[in-house]
Amino acid sequence: MRAFNAELSKLFSLPGIWLAFLIGTFAPPAIAALDSMAEKKDIIAGVSTRLSEVGFIGLALGVQGIIILGVLAVSSEYLTESSESGGGNQITTSLTAVSSRLHFLLAKAGAVTVISILLSIVAILTTVSVTNLILGEYAPVFETSKLIGVVCYWTFTALLAFGITILTKNGIIPLAVLIINSSVVTVSYLLTKVTKLAFYLPDLAGSDMFISDGFHTPFTGSLIMFAWVAVLLIVAGIVFHRRDVAS
Amino acid sequence: MLSIHNLVKHRGNQEILSGVSFKARPGRVTGFLGPNGAGKSSTLRILLGLDRATSGSALIDGVPFAELQNPLATVGAALDGFGAHRMRTGRAHLRWIARAAGLSRSRVEEVLELVGLTNAAGKRVGTYSLGMGRRLGMAAALLGDPKILVLDEPVNGLDPEGIRWIRTFLRERAASGKTVLLSSHLMGELTETVDDVVIINRGKIVADGTLEEVIDNHSTLEEAFFALTSKNAGAAV
Repeated sequence: MRAFNAELSKLFSLPGIWLAFLIGTFAPPAIAALDSMAEKKDIIAGVSTRLSEVGFIGLALGVQGIIILGVLAVSSEYLTESSESGGGNQITTSLTAVSSRLHFLLAKAGAVTVISILLSIVAILTTVSVTNLILGEYAPVFETSKLIGVVCYWTFTALLAFGITILTKNGIIPLAVLIINSSVVTVSYLLTKVTKLAFYLPDLAGSDMFISDGFHTPFTGSLIMFAWVAVLLIVAGIVFHRRDVAS
Repeated sequence: MLSIHNLVKHRGNQEILSGVSFKARPGRVTGFLGPNGAGKSSTLRILLGLDRATSGSALIDGVPFAELQNPLATVGAALDGFGAHRMRTGRAHLRWIARAAGLSRSRVEEVLELVGLTNAAGKRVGTYSLGMGRRLGMAAALLGDPKILVLDEPVNGLDPEGIRWIRTFLRERAASGKTVLLSSHLMGELTETVDDVVIINRGKIVADGTLEEVIDNHSTLEEAFFALTSKNAGAAV
C-alpha cells in the first residue's frame, strides 16, 4: 500500500501527467462535440447511420491521454541525462525504496489502473454531457454496458502502453507507435483489409466493447484485449524482474 | 553489517567482478577504493539488489536486499547520479520516497535542513548543480534514518564545504554505531574519513584492512593505492 501511495505521488508530481489529464478530459468531449454538430442534421432527419457511434468516437480517440499516462509512468523512471545534469535514472531510487520488484511493479500498475479508471469516468461524464447538450432530445442513449466497455478500453490501453514501455525502457517508441495507431493511421484497422486475424489485435478487439456492430461481441472483445494485457504484463514482469538496472 | 562473499559478475563475455569478498562493520567508515571501472559501482549495485550477481552473495544484516522488510530504515543509498526525475522538485522527490517508506512529511523537511537544501527544495531537480544533486541523493539516503549507509562517490562534485560536511557527518554516523560504506577514487579525501579500507582493481580485491594496515610502510594511502593497483596490473598482464 505504501508503494502504491508512492507511485500515485510520483505520477501526480510529474508535469507531463497533467498533459495526459488534459487530453483525457478535453479531447473526447471536443471530438464528440464536433462529430455531433456535423451529424446533427442527419440525426434530426433520422437518416444518420452513425447515431449509435456519436460520442463513442470521441471516447475511442481520447485514449491518447491514457497512453501518455501509461508510457510516462515507466519512461520517467528510466529517463537519463548527461552526467553533468545528474544522470536522472530515478529507477535506482525507486528500487532502493521498495525492495521487491514485484511489489514495485504491482504498485505502479495499480496506480496507472486507478488513474485510468478515474480519468475515463471523467471523460465519459464530459462527453455524454456535451453530446446531450448539442443533440438534445436526439442524443443517443449511452448504454451502461458500453460505458463500462469504455472504462475497460481505457484502462487496458494504459496497461498496454505501460507494459510495452517496461520492455523498451524508453518512452519515445511506444508513445509514437501507440498514438499514431490510435489517431492518425490506424495500422491495425488497415491490417483487417489484409487478414481477419487483425480483428484479434488488442485495440480493435477492445473497441468492440463499445462500438456497435463490431467483429466480436463486447464480451469477447474484452476478453481478447484483457488476454493481451495479461500476457504482456507477465512478459514485462519477468523481464523486469531479471534485468540489471545498469544494463 | 554488510558482508560480501565471493561475488562474481559477468556482463557479456566480460568478467567485471572475480570473487569479491569483504565486510563493512558497524561503528566504522569503510572506504571502498579503486580506479574508475574497477568494479566499485557494480559491487554496490549488486549489494542494493539493482544488478544480479552471476554467483556469490551480498548480504545486509544477513539477508539479501530483496528480502529486507523496510529497506529505507535499514540501508540508505546514494548512487551515481541524482536518482531523481528532472521535472520534479527536490521536495516532491523526497516526498514520494517518504511515502514508500511510510515516513511523515516533516521528516522530509528535516533531511532537507540536514543536507542544506531547504531553500532549493521548491526548485526542479533539473536546475540543480552537481553538488545540490549529491545533497539531494544524501537526503534521500538519510530519510529512513538507516543503520547502514552506502554511498557511491559521495564527495564527487561537492565544494570544499560540502566535502567537509560529508566527512564530519559520516564520522558522526559511525561514532553512533552505524555502518558506513563509501566508494571513491579520490584518495586524499578519504584518509581523514575512513577507518577501514578495501581496494579493488580489475574486479579483484587487492587490499582489505584498517587504514593503518593498508598504508603499511607506504607514506600515504595514495602511495599504497598506486603500489597495490599497479602491482596488480603488472601481475595481470
